[in-house]
Amino acid sequence: MRIFISGGCKNGKSTYAQQLAKHQNNPPHPIYYVATMAATDHEDEERIARHQHERDGWGFTTVEQPKNIEGILTTCNHSGSFLLDSLTALLANEMFLATGEVDSSAYEKIATGLSQVLSKVSNIVIVSDYIYSDAFIYDSVTEDYRKSLAYLDRFVAKHCDVVLEAAYTQIVIHKGEGMLNAIY
Amino acid sequence: MILIFGGVYQGKLCYAEDRFGDTRTIVNDVDKWLLSLIQDGKDVSEEISRFFDENKDAVVICNDISCGVVPIDPVLRKWREDVGRFMAQAAEKADEVVRLFCGIPTRIK
Repeated sequence: MRIFISGGCKNGKSTYAQQLAKHQNNPPHPIYYVATMAATDHEDEERIARHQHERDGWGFTTVEQPKNIEGILTTCNHSGSFLLDSLTALLANEMFLATGEVDSSAYEKIATGLSQVLSKVSNIVIVSDYIYSDAFIYDSVTEDYRKSLAYLDRFVAKHCDVVLEAAYTQIVIHKGEGMLNAIY
Repeated sequence: MILIFGGVYQGKLCYAEDRFGDTRTIVNDVDKWLLSLIQDGKDVSEEISRFFDENKDAVVICNDISCGVVPIDPVLRKWREDVGRFMAQAAEKADEVVRLFCGIPTRIK
């Protein structure tokens, strides 16, 4: 099953997504953790270490894919169970270049890559972040980033069987309730 | 009145246009209108009352801006609260309230 989950920070998305990916395990095929975060500072390194620690013992095979998401199709077994965490990091890596330039069309390239992934892989959980409900007027680059992430969220939600929202450990099912119940 | 809300870029206008086409008046971006009223020093509660009188049959779309940090800027702070007050009244008056999440509607009233 293709599952999309979003919500605010610290709402329990990643933990629930890990459980879902484990539920979709199809032995002897691996459960892949698609790591998207490219560390840019010490805080990121600590966050990555914390996430790795949280995944200890879950049986994930970690695949580093901070860019060109369709790359997982050549390195991984398509019959595995995938956890892609997160669209937010993927977009930041593709949009904000090391040169300091901003690629404002990065979302199109990512959508193409994701559509290839979603057409070839049938057990995947994709995580994003809901950053759309605050009373702040952002600079145009940040606003462009929000708009691009929302585009990817809507695109993935449309192509997934199940769409979930994490609300402080409670899960709201926006799409595919019957399918979700079937895996438990 | 039908109220459609959600975070920015969640597909609210697209949903309203698909569902109602040209059959009903769609009033989009109420939150931005409220911000311009505040910036122009208008009496917001008076304008909101008039808005409800004039848009009884409209499809009203508003961004939900209630879930972030309290802004330091007093104008944005007032904006955040005025949008909240508007939304609460609108949801009360509306025959139907729909929330959009990543392009997916949920009817909550």
